[in-house]
Amino acid sequence: MYQALLTRRYLTSRVMPLLAALAVMLCTAMVLIVWSVMSGFLGMLLDSGRTLMGDAAITWPVAGIPYYEDLMDRLEARPEIAATTPTLETLGLIGLPDGSPEIWTLIGVDGPSYDRVTSYAETLWWKPIDKPLPKDRDREDLRLRLSNQYYDEGLALTEQDLETGDEKAAVVPGIWATGYNRRDIGGWTNARFRFMPDAELTISVLPISQRGAAIDVAARRFPIANEFQSGLYEVDANTALIRLDALQEMLDMNAADRVEAFDPFAVEIDEEGNETFVQPKAVGVEPARVTTVMIRAADGVTPQVARDVAEDVYEEFAAVQGMEVPDPQFVRIYTWEQRDGVRTFIAAVKKELALTVALFGFISLTAVFLVFAIFWSMVSDKIKDIGILRAMGASKPGVAWIFIRYGAAIGVVGSILGGLAAWLIVSNINPIHDWLGTAFGLTVWDPEIYYFPQIPNKVDPIAALLVMGGGVLFSVIGAIAPAIKAARMDPVRSLRFE
Amino acid sequence: MTSETPILEARNVSRTYRMGRVDVPVLKGVDLTVAPGEFLAVLGASGSGKSTMLHLLGGLDRPDRPANGTEGVFFRGRNLSGMSSSEINTYRNLQVGFVFQFYHLLPELDVLENVLIGGMIRHGRFGFGRRKSELHDAAAELLKSLGLGHRLRHKATALSGGERQRVAIARALINHPPALLADEPTGNLDRETGMRILDAMATIREQMNQTIVMVTHDPSIAERADRIVRLTDGVLVTEALEASNT
Ligand SMILES: Nc1ncnc2c1ncn2[C@@H]1O[C@H](COP(=O)(O)OP(=O)(O)OP(=O)(O)O)[C@@H](O)[C@H]1O
Ligand SMILES: [Mg+2]
Repeated sequence: MYQALLTRRYLTSRVMPLLAALAVMLCTAMVLIVWSVMSGFLGMLLDSGRTLMGDAAITWPVAGIPYYEDLMDRLEARPEIAATTPTLETLGLIGLPDGSPEIWTLIGVDGPSYDRVTSYAETLWWKPIDKPLPKDRDREDLRLRLSNQYYDEGLALTEQDLETGDEKAAVVPGIWATGYNRRDIGGWTNARFRFMPDAELTISVLPISQRGAAIDVAARRFPIANEFQSGLYEVDANTALIRLDALQEMLDMNAADRVEAFDPFAVEIDEEGNETFVQPKAVGVEPARVTTVMIRAADGVTPQVARDVAEDVYEEFAAVQGMEVPDPQFVRIYTWEQRDGVRTFIAAVKKELALTVALFGFISLTAVFLVFAIFWSMVSDKIKDIGILRAMGASKPGVAWIFIRYGAAIGVVGSILGGLAAWLIVSNINPIHDWLGTAFGLTVWDPEIYYFPQIPNKVDPIAALLVMGGGVLFSVIGAIAPAIKAARMDPVRSLRFE
Repeated sequence: MTSETPILEARNVSRTYRMGRVDVPVLKGVDLTVAPGEFLAVLGASGSGKSTMLHLLGGLDRPDRPANGTEGVFFRGRNLSGMSSSEINTYRNLQVGFVFQFYHLLPELDVLENVLIGGMIRHGRFGFGRRKSELHDAAAELLKSLGLGHRLRHKATALSGGERQRVAIARALINHPPALLADEPTGNLDRETGMRILDAMATIREQMNQTIVMVTHDPSIAERADRIVRLTDGVLVTEALEASNT
C-alpha cells in the first residue's frame, strides 16, 4: 500500500524518473521500428517470391519438358493442386525504342493460366483506377484516364494490329525495365517521355541446341501490351513477359514436324522429269516444350506438400512418356522458397533480421544501466525515507518492493510511449522518408538495394508486445540492485544519514 | 516500583561503535526498568548516547552482545534479540511509537499521508483499503487534537519545525502503541512551543494510557516526567533528587 503511494509520489515529483522513462521509450521505439521494418521486408520478400512463381515448380532448363500439357493435366487432376501454367525462360537482347540495348530475362507465359498460378493480373500496372492515391496530390496519375484495353491486352499478351486487325503477340516488361517510367514524389509511378504500352521493342533470342550451343539468332519486333510491377525490384527492372507461343517459336521449341534423317544433297526426278532436292519426310510431330511448369497449391496445402505431389506426378508422367522426357532423377522439382537465389537470400535476410534485432536489443541494455544508475542515485537520495519506513515497521522486502515497483512503473510508462512512438513512425515511414528525401536529399531506402519501392510500414502486434514486455523487464532488472541495496540498509544508519 | 512486569527493560546493555580500528564504547552496561504507564525522562549531555539508547529500546538497533537470554532489551519480558525479523517489524510498527530528534517526515507526502503510513504498513494493501475511511478519520482526529486540523493536505516540507514535530508525534501514535519513545521532541523548538507539545503529549498519554520514554538535555523539560534518569559515562543513574531540587 505505502509502496504504491510512494511510487506515485516519487514518480511525479522528480525529473530523473521521467528521464529514465524517456530512455526506456527511446530504446523500445528503436527496437520496435527496426524489427517492424526488417520483418516487413522479409514478409514482402516472401510474398513476392510466391507471386513470381506460385508455390512450386518443375524445371528442366534449356532443352525443356515436352508433352507438358499431359504433365499439367496429370498435376491438375490431383486435389492438392489448384492450377498449373507452362513457362519458358531465356535470356534476350532487347532493343529499346530509342535503340539502346539491354539484356533481360524473358519469360514466355500463357497469360490466363499464368494469372491463375501467380496472380499476374494484379501486377499489371496500366489499368484503370477509380480514385487517385492520396500521395498523387495533383491527380497526374495516367491510370485515372485509362481504358480497360491495356489491361485486357496485358493479360492476354496480345495486341491487335490497327491496320490489319491481326492479333499480334506482345510483351509485358517489368515497370522499371525500360527506364521510361519514373517514381514521382510520394512514390507513385508514372510514364516519363513516352507511354510504354504504345511503343515496341525488338527482341533477339538465341535458340540453343541440346548441347547448349547457339544455333542461330532470332529477332522480332513486339508491341508492348502493358507493364507489370511484382514489387521485387530486381525482377521489375530486368524481366519481360512474352506470349508463350511466340517465344517457343523463336526458340524452335514449338510443335514441329519430325523428319527422318536425310541427305540434304540427294536429288530426285519428279513426275515431270525435273530434278529436285529430296524433301524431308515427316514421320511424326516434334512436341512443343517449356522449361518450367509452375504450380499453385490448393487452399490449405503447403508448398512443400504440393512439391511432393508434383514429384509423384512427374514420376508417373515419365513412366508413361518414357525416354523422351527428362529423367525424374534429374529434373528439378522445388517450392518457391527453394528456388536458386531465393533460398540463400531468404536465409540471409532471416539471419540479418535476427542479428539486427539482437544488436539493437543489446544496445537497449543501456536502458538497464540508465535505470540502474538513476535508481542507485535515487536510493542514495532516499536513504532517510528508507530509514523512517524501516523504523515504522516496514519489512526489507517491503522496502525493496517500492523500488521494484518504481522500476516497473517507469518501464510500463516508457514502453507504452515507446510502442506508441514506434507505431506512429512505422505507419508513416514512407511519407517521412519522402519528406527526408525532398527536404534534405536523404534517401536511406534505395529500391535498387532493398528490392521494394516502399518501406514496410506495419507493426507486428506480437513483436510490439515482446519488445514492450522487454522494456518493462529491463527496467525492473535495472531497479533490482538498488532495491536490494535499499532493503539491506541499516535503519539507524539510514536515519543518521545526512 | 510495582510488581507488574515492566513494559520496557534494559539489562546490562552495551553498544560500541567501531570507528576504523578503534572501538568507541557509547553505552557500557545500561540498566533500566520502565513500568507500564510511566513517563520517564532521560537526561544527558550531547553525545552521551541518549539517541543510541532509544534506538536500542525501539528495536532499531541491537546491543553488542545479543541473545544471551539474560542481557539485552526486553519488552514485556521478551528479549528483542530473540525475535525474528518479522517480529521485530511488528514490534516497531505496533508496540512502540518513535518520535525522532529531527522529525524525519517523508517530504513527498502530505501531512495526513505521513501520519497514515504506519497504518498502511500495519494493514497491508487490502486491510488498509477496507479501513481507509476509519483510519483517515482517526489520523485527522489525532492531528486536530495536536492543533493541525487545517494542515492535513499540506506537504510536510511546508510546515514549521513545531508543526513538523507534532505531525511526527501523530505519526508515532497512529497504531496506538503502548510505548512512545521520544527523542528530544522539543529540542529544536522555542520554549513555549516545546511546552505546548509536552501538554499535548500529556493529554494523549492520559487518553491512551501510554508509557513514555523521553530523551532530553534540558532539565526543565525533564521535570514534566514522573521520573528522571541521567546518562553519564555510558551508564544510567537515577536523578530524582536533583530534578526535584531544580
Ligand atoms: N554510527 C556511528 N558510528 C560511530 N559513532 C557513532 C555512531 N552513531 C553515534 N555515534 C557516536 O556515539 C555517541 C553517542 O551518540 P548519540 O547520538 O546517541 O548521542 P546523543 O546523546 O543522542 O547526542 P545528542 O544529544 O547530540 O543527540 C556520539 O559520540 C556519536 O558520535
Ligand atoms: Mg540524539
